[in-house]
Amino acid sequence: MINLVHNEMMKLLGKRRFLIIGIIIVVLLALFAYAQARQSEAVKERLGEVDWRTELQQQIVDWQNRLSSAGQWREQLEIQIDQYQYYLDHDVNPSEPGAPSFMRGFTENSAELFLPLLVMIVAVDLVSSERSMGTIKLLLTRPVSRSAVLLSKYIALVLSVSIVIFLFALLSYLISALMFGNKGWTAPVLTGFEVRGGELDASGVRLVSQWQYLLQQFGLAWFISLVVGTLSFMLSILMRSSAAGMGTMLACLISGAILSNMVSSWDSAKYLFMVNLGLMDYMSGSPPPIEGMTLGFSLTVLAVWMAAALAASFAVFTRKDIY
Amino acid sequence: MHSKKVRYMTAFAAVICLAWLVGFGWTVKDYLIGSGRGVSLAAPAEQPAPEGQAGKVVALGDSLTRGTGDDEGKGYAGYLADELKEEGFRASMVNLGIKGLTSAGLLEQLGQKEIARQVGQADIVLLTIGGNDLFLGGQTLSDLSAASLAKLEDAFAANLASILETIRSANPAATVYLLGLYDPFRELEDGAETSRAVRSWNARTMETISAYDDMVFVPTYDLFQRNTADYLFTDRFHPNGRGYRLMAGRLAALIAEEGGAP
Amino acid sequence: MSDVTLSVRGLRKVIGRRVIIKDLSFELTRGEVFGFLGPNGAGKTTTIRMLVGLIKPTAGTIRICGLDIARQFTKAMSRMGCIVENPELYPFLSGMDNLRHFAVMLRGITRERIDEVVRLVGLEERIGDKVGTYSLGMRQRLGIAQALLGKPDVLILDEPTNGLDPSGIREMRAFIRSLAEKEGLTVLVSSHLLHEIQLMCDRVAIMAKGEIIRVDTVQELLASEERMVWRLRPLPLGRLILSDLTEVLSADEVTVTTVYSERHAGEWSRRLIEAGVSVMEMNRKLPALEDLFLELTGGESID
Repeated sequence: MINLVHNEMMKLLGKRRFLIIGIIIVVLLALFAYAQARQSEAVKERLGEVDWRTELQQQIVDWQNRLSSAGQWREQLEIQIDQYQYYLDHDVNPSEPGAPSFMRGFTENSAELFLPLLVMIVAVDLVSSERSMGTIKLLLTRPVSRSAVLLSKYIALVLSVSIVIFLFALLSYLISALMFGNKGWTAPVLTGFEVRGGELDASGVRLVSQWQYLLQQFGLAWFISLVVGTLSFMLSILMRSSAAGMGTMLACLISGAILSNMVSSWDSAKYLFMVNLGLMDYMSGSPPPIEGMTLGFSLTVLAVWMAAALAASFAVFTRKDIY
Repeated sequence: MHSKKVRYMTAFAAVICLAWLVGFGWTVKDYLIGSGRGVSLAAPAEQPAPEGQAGKVVALGDSLTRGTGDDEGKGYAGYLADELKEEGFRASMVNLGIKGLTSAGLLEQLGQKEIARQVGQADIVLLTIGGNDLFLGGQTLSDLSAASLAKLEDAFAANLASILETIRSANPAATVYLLGLYDPFRELEDGAETSRAVRSWNARTMETISAYDDMVFVPTYDLFQRNTADYLFTDRFHPNGRGYRLMAGRLAALIAEEGGAP
Repeated sequence: MSDVTLSVRGLRKVIGRRVIIKDLSFELTRGEVFGFLGPNGAGKTTTIRMLVGLIKPTAGTIRICGLDIARQFTKAMSRMGCIVENPELYPFLSGMDNLRHFAVMLRGITRERIDEVVRLVGLEERIGDKVGTYSLGMRQRLGIAQALLGKPDVLILDEPTNGLDPSGIREMRAFIRSLAEKEGLTVLVSSHLLHEIQLMCDRVAIMAKGEIIRVDTVQELLASEERMVWRLRPLPLGRLILSDLTEVLSADEVTVTTVYSERHAGEWSRRLIEAGVSVMEMNRKLPALEDLFLELTGGESID
């Protein structure tokens, strides 16, 4: 089996998939880091040289003024304000300047769409490319059972997801350390906020080091990417063309992002996988898309989807006729 | 059988995979099962004001401080900052104005630790308050009887005294500029009556503030007395950019003149 | 172990309500090159895909060296090498990496064995290059190398000369013959070209519409269908003489066509010359596949 996994890794390396992913990450990171740098410049411009408390206080007041015109976002904004106020009251800087803080923000923003997208680049044609190249005919006429072939591919996918997240972590660290400096690994982060009935519940709040928070974030990002990767993997088996699989998965992800913003009254939507991808929100304490969703719930839903996708993949792949 | 590159890559990927798995497991443990450690938030140490050379202006108050009605969104505070900069003063401007704030609301806001700290660090405090007390929800407009006005004025004066008291105790040295009210309704039917109400309100405000040192009442009534419509935003209540510039000009002159500039 | 290396019994494939393959049965023995002949759409490819385990038969059994591929898939597959349709390999990997890739899927393939098959197909010089840069002939050879890696007993090749130039085709034919004769492999070759099969195979199965309509040695199959084309001067006299000797099948202004008979050809030409007819040309003509089909299916169209 280990040799079969090596085979799959050799093919992925041969296709230079990780190089492409690395380039995409660098480009996006550069944009993001530049935007961040510009923003802090703008704040400086407006407020002069100030400490973070002043900046945070100004941010809170700015948000308070937006409340009346926030419409459907009002509740979310209120929770955000409460959270920042909590940071301020406990004298914790929510974004200690430096690479780790940037990575934290970048990961939080990327975990739902960007990272899964990168993983899709690998996952979506793991099987369908073998079919479109015709090599599947050779692969499946070797003295290796089909389920072993598929399992080796899946293990390669899990490893690829890990590599993608690692590339993401490494590159975002390198670029942000260059731009913002390498400090703040042990800066405290407040976590454990919960949203109950539209109110911020700070009773479970605890303090963690930023490096720990980051590791946990990457753990969650890894899981999200793995779920999306597994579903893409299934589509890559069910669909003949990689493009169709990619399109379907993309549609799912984007509809998830849209749905998350508007399904608050459609309760059963919480069983859809794409509405549950915002695991990071549970860490940062943003309200979930549907009242009553918790980290445990989302993890369960995602795990069930993943298991079902895997079962379907194996069931179809081992029986399918190859024409 | 395979090249070394492939084997190293696979082994490396397996190691990273394990690392992420640990991260994931840790998250699950911390967030689902509960972290062993309780809340361990140390009581924050008092933050000394940073010793900066640049002065600090803190603007407090309602929508006027916020700059509602100004196309550029700066408000008088923003224009004042621009003017001070032009004249060579280096100042940081913190705008803590909140739309719709009443004197009671401001008092509550001042109770927040960080707000108090901001005020404490300030060299100059700018203040607009009272407009919402007087014209709140437009109810006053329909009931301009002397009795109801007097009740509002009394309540406001009491709050204002507390506000000024709080500011002074947070910051014994800062100069406080309190901008008075103008009458946005003077060109309407009941213009004469609202004007009277605003004048009386301003008089009461001035009287209240006069009890404190280094606190300056800055009238705006006269600025908007003529061609009122030209200086008002389309809501006929808040100033527009020109109106705010007038207010900023007056403040800038006062600050520069007194030499109390930051 | 018996000499039968590949045995097919009652093989049937139904898709929906259409019967694609109707009860095929045949046996192949060691050292034999067996041809699968039929027009496109006759069911050759489907049959071959069932033989190599890509498609599951609706009914029937396939045994490779006595191992049922439905029950003992991996064991059966280790005795077989194949190229289905084009030799599709990974274009972004080198030839060597491609071979390594398939070698690890077999058990106990050593470096030496890889080098050996590379030498066998004559790719030593280019084996480190990316397959994407190979010509079709080189890919075909790499495909064969890949199929031979595990020292199979049965080699299944689907249209092995497709897309090769004439010299490549000749080379491939010789190579396949030598595999069967020297290494004792059973080779199953499919083709839609009659002369291809004729030159390479010992036995031929002719397929049409999902059925094997005839299995025979090449000689037997062709004997009844070969023609002799004569160019004679003067033509009418020649025709007269020939029609006395044998059956004249057709004639036009230049030639006369009769049945072919190896035994009688010499005598017929002597008789013609004795009668003062000069024989400009005697041409043995293979039947077109279409003719053969028309003959075998009793005039039914092959499409």
